[in-house]
Amino acid sequence: MKTTFLILSLLIVLTSCEIEGDLTKDELRSTTIPNSSELKFQGVFSPTSGITVAGGPKIYQSGNQYQLKLDGFSISDGPDLKVYLSKSDSPTEFVNLGNLVPTAVYTIPQQVDLNEYKYVLIHCQQYNHLFAIALLNEI
Amino acid sequence: MKKSIVILSLFFYSFVTAQGCSDAGICTIGTAFQSNEKEHKNSIELATVYGVGEADVTYISPYISYTRKFNEKIALSAKVTFSSANGSFGTRASFGDAYLIGNYTFKEKKNTQWSVITGWKFPFTASNLKINDFSLPLDYQASLGTFDLFLGANLKYKKWDFNSALQIPVFNNNKNSYFVEYSATTDFPSTNLFERKSDALFRTTYTFKTSKEKLTFKPNILFIYHLGEDSYENIFGQRQTIENSDGLTINGNLVTNYQIDKQSSLELSLATPFVVREIRPDGLTRGFVASIHYRIAF
Repeated sequence: MKTTFLILSLLIVLTSCEIEGDLTKDELRSTTIPNSSELKFQGVFSPTSGITVAGGPKIYQSGNQYQLKLDGFSISDGPDLKVYLSKSDSPTEFVNLGNLVPTAVYTIPQQVDLNEYKYVLIHCQQYNHLFAIALLNEI
Repeated sequence: MKKSIVILSLFFYSFVTAQGCSDAGICTIGTAFQSNEKEHKNSIELATVYGVGEADVTYISPYISYTRKFNEKIALSAKVTFSSANGSFGTRASFGDAYLIGNYTFKEKKNTQWSVITGWKFPFTASNLKINDFSLPLDYQASLGTFDLFLGANLKYKKWDFNSALQIPVFNNNKNSYFVEYSATTDFPSTNLFERKSDALFRTTYTFKTSKEKLTFKPNILFIYHLGEDSYENIFGQRQTIENSDGLTINGNLVTNYQIDKQSSLELSLATPFVVREIRPDGLTRGFVASIHYRIAF
């Protein structure tokens, strides 16, 4: 009985492997675009082979700041998916905006010229596999 | 009496300054083969390591290892590690690495004995564990995600041991995706798709035992030289070298072993670095390490 209890305790400890902290709370993630922002670019995602995707990216401007939000978005499950702003429809010259979180608002670095980065890609970095491509159209 | 004072002084010094080892595996390589146990061919070691790292990160890292002596010369050891890191990012725990190390001991001549070791480290993760879809710095990863080759030699001369070893990342599977630009803290550098260089180690250990040989003390000093600057891929997909991530780490370590009976022993190890690299993006930043080990031979 004692041994069983010890083994169970050990299993619980081993499987309690992810607990959020102050720097990983959902609230830290921006999810709303300011009302004063203006929609500047938008697109619709096309999937690559074997992937299902819906929705598209929208890029808003607020002062000198550009922000990207995914609209009506869903995609097939995949490991380590990232959002890239890219100069082409393949991930060769890109800006990595971070982990894909469908509800998140992504702040685009100031030095990025959106006239050069015309595509938004959903890319699996861990296995280097492209999931979806959207061409940005100026509004 | 004089010896007792020396022992107590060393112990107290180690405890006060804290100790630790920036251990990517190389620090503990070969320790499984240093047992004086002659009668039994098998041994199992259970250990728990407590470490204090940079920022507010603390670690609890248990491991289990099994060592088999095939004859007087050849032995093999296998080890599996687990690590739980806790800090402002939260708690992230996972199995870390598996080690398979072989040892060949040459015949002793005039109080001098050489042995050589070689082995591999296999990671259980790609060093990209996350919490709530937030990428985590390497300080929170249970493994560096590299398949490493170990090559080492040990010279035993009377009560002295001199170890040297190389740890070479042969195949890199590090898929870490942490960017300081997208983090709420600047405590840790970006390590997206991190690439790590090799380490070289040199350690000197002096062993002394109490009169009834129940207690053994092994103060040792450990030099680790990181043989190049590490690199990562920035947000623009360009590889960046992390300046000053190479260089020397010097650790002090005191091992105290208590022989419970002929087959089993208990060991306490305390370690701290005296000299560290300017930047340690690999998260090997323990400022203090205390570990307790139980060994049983059969």
